[in-house]
Amino acid sequence: METFWLIPAMACYLLSAILFISDRVSGKERAAGWAIVILGAGAILHAMDLAARGLQAGNIPVANFAESLSFLAWVTALASLVLIVRLRMAVIGAYAAPAVAVALGVSSAMARGGRITLPAPLQSVWLPIHVSLAIVGYAMFVLAASVSLVYLAYESRLKAKRPLGHNTERMPSLEKLDRINYSLLVWGFLMLSAAIITGAIWADATWGHFWSWEPKESWSLVIWVLYAALLESRLTVGWRGRRAAELTIVVFAVLVTSFVGVSLIFPGKHGGTFG
Amino acid sequence: MAQTLFILGLNHRTAPVAVRERLAYSEEDIPRTLSRIRERLGSVTEVAILSTCNRVEVVGVAADPAKAFDELSAFIASDRGVPQAAFAEALYRMQGREAARHLFRVGASLDSMVVGEPQILGQLKLAYAQAAKSGAVGLVLHRAFHKAFSTAKRIRKSTLIGHGAVSVSSAAVTLARQIFDKLSDKTVMLMGAGKMAELTARQLKAIGIESLLITSRTFDNAVALARELGGTAVPFDNCKPYLKIADVVIGSLSVTRPVFGPEEFEAIIRERRYKPMFLIDLGVPRNFDQRLNAIENLYLYDIDDLGKVVDESRAEREKEADKAEEIVEQELEAFERWMAGLDLVPTIKDIRYSIERLRDLELGRNRGWIATLEPAERERVELLTRSLTNKLLHRILLGLRQGGNSQADKIYAAEVARRLLCGDFDLDDSDFDSLEDDEIES
Repeated sequence: METFWLIPAMACYLLSAILFISDRVSGKERAAGWAIVILGAGAILHAMDLAARGLQAGNIPVANFAESLSFLAWVTALASLVLIVRLRMAVIGAYAAPAVAVALGVSSAMARGGRITLPAPLQSVWLPIHVSLAIVGYAMFVLAASVSLVYLAYESRLKAKRPLGHNTERMPSLEKLDRINYSLLVWGFLMLSAAIITGAIWADATWGHFWSWEPKESWSLVIWVLYAALLESRLTVGWRGRRAAELTIVVFAVLVTSFVGVSLIFPGKHGGTFG
Repeated sequence: MAQTLFILGLNHRTAPVAVRERLAYSEEDIPRTLSRIRERLGSVTEVAILSTCNRVEVVGVAADPAKAFDELSAFIASDRGVPQAAFAEALYRMQGREAARHLFRVGASLDSMVVGEPQILGQLKLAYAQAAKSGAVGLVLHRAFHKAFSTAKRIRKSTLIGHGAVSVSSAAVTLARQIFDKLSDKTVMLMGAGKMAELTARQLKAIGIESLLITSRTFDNAVALARELGGTAVPFDNCKPYLKIADVVIGSLSVTRPVFGPEEFEAIIRERRYKPMFLIDLGVPRNFDQRLNAIENLYLYDIDDLGKVVDESRAEREKEADKAEEIVEQELEAFERWMAGLDLVPTIKDIRYSIERLRDLELGRNRGWIATLEPAERERVELLTRSLTNKLLHRILLGLRQGGNSQADKIYAAEVARRLLCGDFDLDDSDFDSLEDDEIES
């Protein structure tokens, strides 16, 4: 189903991504203010689209992969706005805004026309709870990967002894980026854990067993273990900084490939949805 | 006679410190000196003195700047007790546009030793405030200084001229800020008590690092410096255990080869649980092995690396300075227009008076028949003549303000207009005050 809101939302995301990137390239914060406002406008328009779909479906609009991805893009846009404004780190926008635009773009390209309805067994109060937790968790991981990319870019400049874009006062320090990366991972991990638990409870209520080792479930567990290991290495050995950033990106890449693969190739009970 | 802005002075480029220090005025000296200049020097109508470690300048207004320059040079020589010959070579004498440009550039820190340094604007403001308080500032200086302030502000806002580290120690501080977020819980360790290391440690303390460890080959030196900076002295032979709690280490020991090798620092980083470390090597020969930079979360900058950072931000400032120069030229244009308007004021007054007078004469000559008209018609005659003279006057004023580009052209045009329009009238001064001035002021 196409709604009127989607194209302007997409245009806003693209424009804000371009503005964030132009600031990142020039090393100055000229367009950041506008980029933030436009990203916010995109999120509002996008929310209209989701609301329209949700009203039609009578539940949150996550009936297929395309819809789930669109929902994830929206949550990511909101979370990155919070991060950018609260922590004054417009530079994250140069990675997060394009990710949002790409996600929504892929989602629109994959959306098939016509009205989508959820199969009866999935119509449940557990749907919004389970899916929202999973999607908020993924949004945290998207942002953690964005922050890690910023970290690696800055870190390699410092190591190579060509630091200082000229406008250094506005650049977040490595320590700050590392700390934010850590908090995002913790929150993402907690959300993912909760999503897995609620999913199991829901499965028990619907099918009578908690776990059925379908591809989605298995991969979720793999991802959960990877993030657990990532956090554990920081707490015990103290891996932080560059290595933590690199691992965050690697695990995120595994997450993206596995879930895209699973959702499209082995839909299972999740019916090709993302969450 | 037109009043002209002028500057007489010398700076770090034209005079060595040996000359500058003999001429420099202390803050307390300036008010007295300003009043002495105003009392004794007839040629100077407005005056301010800017005296910093890099420059001594007299900014003033005079009808005859050449005369003012001579009188002021002689005055300074006797006032400071320095023979004129000792500084005459170093003096620059500027007037008009050139002087205004210099004032704006000084305020914007374009004439500073380190381009973009922020102190000079404050010093310029102080110079103005002192002169204003002494009653030495008139219309022109007031305008010139304020224009210099607003130009500097505009440049600060729209260029990056004040950004980037321009000294080795400030480069080290900037780098520390890029690595660490919270500084209050960080520890600096000085290895060796070199001057530059001390300066860098002071700056790091100034931005919030609280804990300071100092070690030196001579323990007494470490103790003395620790007392001065508020730190803790650590014996050199036993300094290694302390390295693992140091987030910033500044090396300035005189050594023939690096004190610690990569293996030792790898162990230290592991013990620190990979918390970042910033090593600043100010020693020549270098204190730290270059291979340390390859260790995870450890950043090593030697004196050349820091020098390169400084060079880059200086180059960046120079680039920004070009933009700033453009802004100076724009503001200069506005100031010149204002100055030109100032010169036209008396001429415009005269021309206005002449034309009004012409109208009065004509009306007087025709008083007889005008008196026979109906009141409404009489009023129309009034209106008609007034509108005619006003339109004529307006055209002339417009022509004078816009005619010609340079100030010289404008003054010439004004002179011609005055001769054509005011030449043959018998001017009666008693009427002059009754004329309205609003057209002139606008």
